[in-house]
Amino acid sequence: MNESPVNGPQFDDERRGFLGKAAALGVAGLGSAGWMGAAHAQVSDLAPYTRARINWKQVEGESITVSVIPASYFDNLLELLPQFEVLTGVKVRAEKVPPGQIRQKSMLDLSSKTATYATSATDPMYYPLYVANKWVEPLDKYLNDATLTDAAWYNYNDILKAWRDADSVDGKPYGIPFDGEVTVQVYRKDLYAAKGLKPADTYDQLLANARDLNDPANRVFGLAMRGFAGAGQNMYLYPSLFRGFGGNWFQGKDLVVNSPEAVRALDWYVSALTQFAPPAVRNWNWPDIADAFSQGTLACYLDAHSSAAVINNPEKSKVVGKIAYARWPRGPAGKRVTSIWNWGFPINAALSERAKKATWLFIMWATAAETQARTSWKFAGAAKRSGLNRMSLWKSPEFSSAMQGAGDNFINAALESLEQDTDVEWRPRVPQWPAIGDTMATAIQAALVGQKKSKDALDEAQARIAQIMRS
Amino acid sequence: MAHSPVAVIDTQAQQERRFALALFAPAFVLLLLITTAPLVFLAWNSLQKLDMSMPWLSGFAGLGNYTKMGSDPRFWNSFTLTVIYTSSTVVLQVIIGLSLALLVLQIPRGQALLRVAAILPIVLAPVVVGLFWRTLVLAPDFGLVDLVTRALGLGSHNWLGDPQLALISVIAIHTWQWTPFAFLVLLATLATLPPDVYEAARLDRASAWQRFWHITLPLIRAAVVMVVILRTMTALSAFAAIFAATGGGPGTSTEILNLYAYRTSFTELNIGYGSALAMVLLTLTAFVSWLLFRRRSSPA
Amino acid sequence: MKPMPRQVILGVVAGLIVSVWAFPVLWALLTSFKTERDVLAYPPVFVFTPTLANYREVLFGPASILPNLRSSLVVTCSATALTMAFAIPAAYALARLRYPFKRFSGFYVLVTQMLPPVGLVIPYYLALQRLGALDTYSGMITIYLTFSLPFAIWLMVSYFEDVPYEMEEAALLDHAGRWGALWHVVLPQVRGGIAVTTVFVFLNAWNEFMFAVVLGGNTVRPVTVGMFNFISVEQTQWAKVAAGAMVAMAPVILLGLLAQKHIVKGLTVGAVKGGGRR
Repeated sequence: MNESPVNGPQFDDERRGFLGKAAALGVAGLGSAGWMGAAHAQVSDLAPYTRARINWKQVEGESITVSVIPASYFDNLLELLPQFEVLTGVKVRAEKVPPGQIRQKSMLDLSSKTATYATSATDPMYYPLYVANKWVEPLDKYLNDATLTDAAWYNYNDILKAWRDADSVDGKPYGIPFDGEVTVQVYRKDLYAAKGLKPADTYDQLLANARDLNDPANRVFGLAMRGFAGAGQNMYLYPSLFRGFGGNWFQGKDLVVNSPEAVRALDWYVSALTQFAPPAVRNWNWPDIADAFSQGTLACYLDAHSSAAVINNPEKSKVVGKIAYARWPRGPAGKRVTSIWNWGFPINAALSERAKKATWLFIMWATAAETQARTSWKFAGAAKRSGLNRMSLWKSPEFSSAMQGAGDNFINAALESLEQDTDVEWRPRVPQWPAIGDTMATAIQAALVGQKKSKDALDEAQARIAQIMRS
Repeated sequence: MAHSPVAVIDTQAQQERRFALALFAPAFVLLLLITTAPLVFLAWNSLQKLDMSMPWLSGFAGLGNYTKMGSDPRFWNSFTLTVIYTSSTVVLQVIIGLSLALLVLQIPRGQALLRVAAILPIVLAPVVVGLFWRTLVLAPDFGLVDLVTRALGLGSHNWLGDPQLALISVIAIHTWQWTPFAFLVLLATLATLPPDVYEAARLDRASAWQRFWHITLPLIRAAVVMVVILRTMTALSAFAAIFAATGGGPGTSTEILNLYAYRTSFTELNIGYGSALAMVLLTLTAFVSWLLFRRRSSPA
Repeated sequence: MKPMPRQVILGVVAGLIVSVWAFPVLWALLTSFKTERDVLAYPPVFVFTPTLANYREVLFGPASILPNLRSSLVVTCSATALTMAFAIPAAYALARLRYPFKRFSGFYVLVTQMLPPVGLVIPYYLALQRLGALDTYSGMITIYLTFSLPFAIWLMVSYFEDVPYEMEEAALLDHAGRWGALWHVVLPQVRGGIAVTTVFVFLNAWNEFMFAVVLGGNTVRPVTVGMFNFISVEQTQWAKVAAGAMVAMAPVILLGLLAQKHIVKGLTVGAVKGGGRR
């Protein structure tokens, strides 16, 4: 356990009290069956892994620390860690950092080369930054090393291409996607059916549907999208709109954010939300939207497919069984654009060679088909992952039946989006992304709340971004 | 006496000095060790061009960061907001706290309960306060405040989403959390004032307001000043609550200097500029404290 | 005799204002007993079937915050104890005694209180890392001292200044010696001040967030960070966050209640009687 300074009799009493309680809990824990039991039962079945023609135990005895965000898809993985430890003899310490701080903590660690975290759940938009600073290892070295990776068994190309590309820079992979998502239309099939509406195919249809169902007097709003200012919040939906309107982030080598398409996209976004979304949407992030939808306040929203878990939660949701999904509608430029978001794992370049290998084994294990399945439909707990990283798993019958309760057309909508609507240029992939994302997010929200006109907000953002890119 | 008076005084002074140093040195040395190095590091960083997202640009910048600040509209925005935020909340806290204390003085029975209720906001972690207010209290439609305003016919508003209202809202949140402190301190101070002074004044047929202004206020002056100083320092360094409630938004309408420095350092990764901003905040805080302290030391 | 109605009116007004303070906290308390579904209900429900499930989950579930409570207790108690041990003597010296460089050192103590945490996080992170003290109790406690110590010194100075100088003089003339004077005469006078300062130092440390999250980790994880276990990316479980917040508040409230008597005495500042800075 950990050392704590001794501070006199009164504190000993408190510690003793806690120890007593902890002991009681421990006994209770041992006695309970449930997920713990299931995880242990699976430990013995490591055959799917040992089939791989590598020596899993080649760095036995190493110890690494991994940081992740609090999320059910990581929780599931962490519960399976004992299996990894038995398989490889590598000890893994997992730390949960709130999503608002995990990037900063990782960067502090990477930039000061303190090698505290062997790997962290990483935002794909940060890879250009990491690579420019040489903070993470190129992973092709590990993928092509036959002693570390059994290519046939691991099947790297089975991992969704869009996500693989999102985690690569200049063609080289720097992170392996673990869990990801696509943004889709989520709508109330009962409300749509009652008015004879179909899920929107174009932006105009989306607005028309929203107008039809918008009924603020009865607390039903037609549409919602994230409004909260943040690179991963409103700046998560806006790029899809931007690209849907035919915008390009780069003109030549310059990053341009106030092109006519950009202004049109922002105007569309602002007017859509002002007309058809609850006024609180300006501060909403996706849990807020999912919550509102689950309470029956929204007719339709555009957001991550994994929100299905929230809106289908019988404990909270009033709309279970009334949900359907569809792909993004087409923008005026004819494109449907979904997000390529995923949480991936890179390798900290400041580690020792042995530790790097141990980290690679961890990453390989976590992103292998078997583990993905074990955290999804094979998982003994209630939350079954829906953001799997491999095409073969998405198309498997087990996944279909596990996701059956999510709503109509769930897998199809998501799968088609994954296959056809992803766009690597969805957001500008430059090292200065953190500053740019934040600047854009502020501008978008300023326009949304009416503080500035779209054009002015974007012009200001452009000025600031030009300075950032130059300085 | 065996010794001359002068020698006795010297020894006494020496004794006092030794005693004083024995008492003071440990704390001072400790502070010196753990705060000087980071302070120097911070100052040094502020003179650098240090941007984590563009490492190839690092180098010595001299006062470049500071001159940049002069022409940075976002900086002046945050500076103004800081002044507005701090002065509003401190003034509100003192006025409300004092009024409530005067009120409660006259109700001897309810005092204990009121004091307990007053402690509640202070003990909540600011980060939790920000979160709660954002979702449970100020959210349009779902929130408590909205419920009340709608019941009162004032309609529903986007308390945290509207730029003007957001600033008022975060000031309200901070005031809500810390007024009880002013209340408790002033109540306790008022309770110790000798009642015979009032009797004399009443006999002189002074009005309630005159009594307050000329007698009560001077007597509690020290307490009021101390409350002002403490609350000002807290307001200047307020971070967690606003961060959780608005993140500095919408746009930049609640981005006080503290938050701007945080966003610059940690979100934009411009450590050099962020450090410069932090140094300016430090200077501002020091200056304000110095002003307040002078008022404190001046004779009552 | 004051007429009854006036008392009643005053009481009502005071009660109203106090409810503004207490209501959000009471609302959070209420929320902690609701099911997640009830939390999102509209209009907000005041009458519902309460459940202890949230507390059960928060205390004993897989994301239990009990380890966080333990962590917080260790860090906060140690930091508070150390702070008071250093601060009380230092404050007395500043308030009463004469020694070289007093003005400068006094001012320095004041300035350190104003250091913005935002600017200090990175230097602290790097320093702790170099010393191998990241995510350790000793490291975290030392960092907590940086904001607790100046604050405590400063607060205690005003309490020491309130002690009438005549008392000390009398003790000195009694050949009590300086230590004796301090220990037997002055300190008992500022008992209330010590109580108040201790409570506020404890509170500040208990509620600290930024340093806790950046400089802590798996070993040192105070309860302010632990609460985010229930604010995952996918959803915020408000009822559980509320329950977590209540649990996190409990130790401080307990402390406040226990020390109530002293606190009330100690909140008196700048009393009419003499004393003052030398």
